[in-house]
Amino acid sequence: MRTLLRFLKPYRLQTAVVLVSLAVNLAGVLLVPTILANMINNGVSSRDMDYLMGQGALMLAAAVVSGAGAFACNYFCADLSSKVGRDIRNAVYDASLAFSGSGFEQFGTGSMITRTLGDVNVIQQAITMTIQMMLPVPFAAVIGIVLASSIDPQMGALLACVIAVVGVIALVTVRRAAAIFEKLQTFIDRMNVRLRETITGVRVIRAFGKERAERERLDDAFSSFAKNAIRVNMLFATLDCSAFLIMNLCEVAILWLGGNRVGVHAMQIASISACVEYAMLILLFIMMAQICALTLPRALVCLERCRAVIDHEPSIADPALPEKPGRGAEKEGEAVVHFSCASFCFADADEDTLHRLNFICRRGTTTAIIGQTGSGKSTIAKLILRFHDVSEGHVSLLGTDVRNLSQHDLRERVSYVPQKAWLFSGTVAENLRYGKPDATDEELWHALDVAQSGFVRELPGGLASRVAQGGTNFSGGQRQRLSIARALVKPADLYIFDDSFSALDFKTDAALRRALAEEVADAAVFIIAQRINTILNADQIIVLKDGCIAGLGTHDELMRTCPVYQEIARSQLKAEELEGLAAEDSAQKGGA
Amino acid sequence: MAEKDLVDNIEAASAAAEAIDTASATGADGGAAPSPADELEVPRDTLAVIRRMWGTATGEHWRFAVVVACICLYTAASIAAPAYCAYLIDYLWSHIQRAFAAGETFRVTWETGGREVMVFLGIWTVAWIFYTIQSFTMASFAERLNLKLRRELSDKLNRLPLAFYDRRKPGEVISRATNDLDKVSEVMQRGILSLLTAIGSVTGALIMMFRYNYVLACVFLAFAAVAVAMTRAVSKKTLVLAAEQQRAVGILTGHVEEAYSGRTVIKAFNQEQASSERIHAATQELAERMRATDFVTNVVAPMVRCLVRLSQVILAVLGVRFLIGGQLTVGTLQAFFQYVNTAAEPLTQFSLTVNTMQSALAAVERVYDILDEPEIEPDPVAPALPASPVRGRVAFEHVRFGYDPARPLMRDVSFVAKPGQKVAIVGATGAGKTTLINLLMRFYEIDGGRITLDGVDTHAMRRADLRRNFGMVLQDAWLREGTIAENIAYGRPDATREEVIQAAKTAQVDFFVRTMPHGYDTLLENDAENISQGQRQLLTIARVLLANPAILILDEATSSVDTRTEKAIVRAMEHLTYGRTSFVIAHRLSTIVDSDLILVMDHGTIIEQGTHEELLAAGGAYAELYLSQFAS
Repeated sequence: MRTLLRFLKPYRLQTAVVLVSLAVNLAGVLLVPTILANMINNGVSSRDMDYLMGQGALMLAAAVVSGAGAFACNYFCADLSSKVGRDIRNAVYDASLAFSGSGFEQFGTGSMITRTLGDVNVIQQAITMTIQMMLPVPFAAVIGIVLASSIDPQMGALLACVIAVVGVIALVTVRRAAAIFEKLQTFIDRMNVRLRETITGVRVIRAFGKERAERERLDDAFSSFAKNAIRVNMLFATLDCSAFLIMNLCEVAILWLGGNRVGVHAMQIASISACVEYAMLILLFIMMAQICALTLPRALVCLERCRAVIDHEPSIADPALPEKPGRGAEKEGEAVVHFSCASFCFADADEDTLHRLNFICRRGTTTAIIGQTGSGKSTIAKLILRFHDVSEGHVSLLGTDVRNLSQHDLRERVSYVPQKAWLFSGTVAENLRYGKPDATDEELWHALDVAQSGFVRELPGGLASRVAQGGTNFSGGQRQRLSIARALVKPADLYIFDDSFSALDFKTDAALRRALAEEVADAAVFIIAQRINTILNADQIIVLKDGCIAGLGTHDELMRTCPVYQEIARSQLKAEELEGLAAEDSAQKGGA
Repeated sequence: MAEKDLVDNIEAASAAAEAIDTASATGADGGAAPSPADELEVPRDTLAVIRRMWGTATGEHWRFAVVVACICLYTAASIAAPAYCAYLIDYLWSHIQRAFAAGETFRVTWETGGREVMVFLGIWTVAWIFYTIQSFTMASFAERLNLKLRRELSDKLNRLPLAFYDRRKPGEVISRATNDLDKVSEVMQRGILSLLTAIGSVTGALIMMFRYNYVLACVFLAFAAVAVAMTRAVSKKTLVLAAEQQRAVGILTGHVEEAYSGRTVIKAFNQEQASSERIHAATQELAERMRATDFVTNVVAPMVRCLVRLSQVILAVLGVRFLIGGQLTVGTLQAFFQYVNTAAEPLTQFSLTVNTMQSALAAVERVYDILDEPEIEPDPVAPALPASPVRGRVAFEHVRFGYDPARPLMRDVSFVAKPGQKVAIVGATGAGKTTLINLLMRFYEIDGGRITLDGVDTHAMRRADLRRNFGMVLQDAWLREGTIAENIAYGRPDATREEVIQAAKTAQVDFFVRTMPHGYDTLLENDAENISQGQRQLLTIARVLLANPAILILDEATSSVDTRTEKAIVRAMEHLTYGRTSFVIAHRLSTIVDSDLILVMDHGTIIEQGTHEELLAAGGAYAELYLSQFAS
């Protein structure tokens, strides 16, 4: 609730306008029958034509003002709810940008999308419904009772009693109904889950010949949903019908009491109908509010889900007084990245994912990391980029601990090719300029050439070719090469390639690495690899096993000294190839 | 304002409430907003759909008859009530005037109006009874119809060919069975009712108005005509706006999905600011669209009401003149105004009701479309039985096949897998390796030639008899809601706990299961998201182990699992393949080299076959693939 107020705050004036126009509308709505009653009363008693025309004009004014109020209320309500919705969406998205990697995973992509889109929709609709269906109740009740009392105090009292009784009944019903509603939701979910299972698992189900069993499960979910849905419908029917009954009784009570009051000159005959009309209107609003109230708990849940995102404290924040990274000596051999006793442990894990790592990536050299899936390779890249923070030890860039730099400055110096090549919708050029907005076309073509992305030249649109969301209109290998080109356009002191060559065939892989070597000669290169032949020529290879460094050296050194490395090599290459490789390797070395 | 308006308004309110329901139901499904663009949908053949629904509702016809009868009686009573009220007021007024003339006051007693008040209550009570009966009858009518359709659908799902599933996204089929049918029940529940009552009460009210005073009735009619014309214009506008809003939703959804999936890239390239601006622009656009749609959708009712009030001003002035002239009484004038309200309120809803009914009928039509999809051919009447016990010799003999028969992928494919042999299927992504599985399992039927199991044509067997002999371990390791034990025993629900545990042990997953909070009774929920891909695959291996088929189809894990699990999977698969004919979609060099037969696939067909040595020697596609991917 407080969250909602926070988002309503900038629109205080507008909220006030909505409330005022609502009040104007309702006053007009209730005045029309009042004036009509006056006209009829006059007609049966004094038959004063001037009075009649005067009241007619007044009624016209009431109708017009009420209509204007309704229009204004409607417009500002639509405006308010859409603006609040927009602000919540923006707040959720902007908050998410500051999340660390694990902070985001805590919510999950799917859930974040729902929070940004579906949840906000529900909130928006709830705002509209509250304004249009709930707020009229107090206004109409007050105005109605005042008008009824001005006709006759006893009528006012009767109306107040009826409203109080109905109000209490409505509250009780809503409480009880909310539980049934919640239950219905679980049945809907179950229906969805089982349907999805039946559809995605159709091959397995048929392979095991379980069609009948699955069908029974599905039918079971359908039946229990139907049973509960009927209960909900019955509930609505009960609401409907009891409201109907209460109105009948109320109308009769007003007629009876009204007859008596007219009989003692306390009020005039036509005002009876005016009072009936007030009562009907107010009861109507209460009924609508009741149904609307049933949907509010869900909106509150959605609001809470958005709040959780907005108020999430990012675990990684910029330091209060960030240091500027040294410009660096820009000479070969300079330590660009330095891991000293760096350990990393996920918040919910017992064991370190990475344990006391020590190594240095130097300018002009290539450092490669190899290790089995799950050994923590990608996490190292994330530590450098500060998507995670070390739990112990230090990671420093150009001599400064990354935690003492602003994230912006840090990432300015690092260019990164993620494991999953992700492109954004737009053009190829827009994607390539992601890290350097003012790059010239020549620079882009150069990067594309280095990244072996000659295919762009063959595209009809060239650099202006469209990229679909996520880059899905390109093959995996093309995406990977474009993502490498994008990283190359960005000037940096360190280039990180996170398993970026896996979708490339051997020939492309080799050509790319050759071109790359020249391209980034004056920076440090950090390659995370699965395939051993990607990294044979690295200046240093770090062998990672269960989060620890199991070996560090060149390929030849490791082949002699590191059993883990030998095992990886053996699993990927057959014996004769290993020998051939060794020979080829040394031949290359000799040639160089 | 009469009771009728209340009913209408409550219907509108609960419809809105349900709209929210659907919104978040679909929201959870990944699809975003409730799509108002759906309202655009119109059935291809309205009458045919209605006729067919009537057929589906067989057995429930009496309910419908009861509802229609009740609505008629209810409408009659609720039209009679204001007329009686007019009489009642005039009756009271004459008593009061008589009392005043005699210089006395007046009290309502049984004799002086009390009886009439009770008769009036009686009329309303009759209306209430019929209204209640029809509400409660209808409360289950629509859901029963839905349940029937859903059951037909779940039955149909088993008879649909795999081609149906491969053509469609799961969400599409799911929303047919859930959202689409919910829309139908909503319309059945409220749309039909309000339409029928609206027709009844508008006609009734107009007749009564003309009876009281045709001049006033004509004035009202003129205003009503304007109101109808305006609602029609606005509702057209609404559809256009809703479509625009839907487009804005689509754009925002695209941006948001993209940004969340690519957030590491955004952060790594310091593009937070730009990305935020992009999203803000999309939310701004959506907000503007929503404001317009919201406003126009909700403005219809106030607009009509405003028009009605303006008509009331004229009616009031004219009416009181008639009152003074003696053509109308206090009671009849007020009754006339009640009829004005009765006739006017449905006008606010009319176009909306018609729109939603059309879209609901379109939704049912889509459900019927699925029910009309071509089915797999029924199993043969006199099925051939596979050899018993099955030895596991599988042969393709001149097989011709294409997903689109007009464009065959396989033209003449033959090969033999002898009992106990390991057959490796290799090829680039998209080369059609799953096609082979589809044909072996008869998920798709071949267009020519035959596939035999131990010499028996598989097409002559019942599908269940054929498939019983195959076990599949696919990369998309499908598990279903239920306990781990239930999942392992999926193919053999009668297996004992010991057998389940034994299978799990052989599949190298026993240790992992023991670390779960409730061991084998741990509930896997929500597409089994609570366990990793690798563990899921191990569970599917255990599942196949327990079923103990003679022939295996395996899809080797690629890179989505960690090494320890991968090793476990390799070991488990070795256990599994021992002594069985196996088809392996191979990614691992050792698997390929050791197999008895390698099938090299490209563009959906087998382009080469033979052993590793033979194929290398042949120097064809396999040799190239092998050299580029697996050697250096």
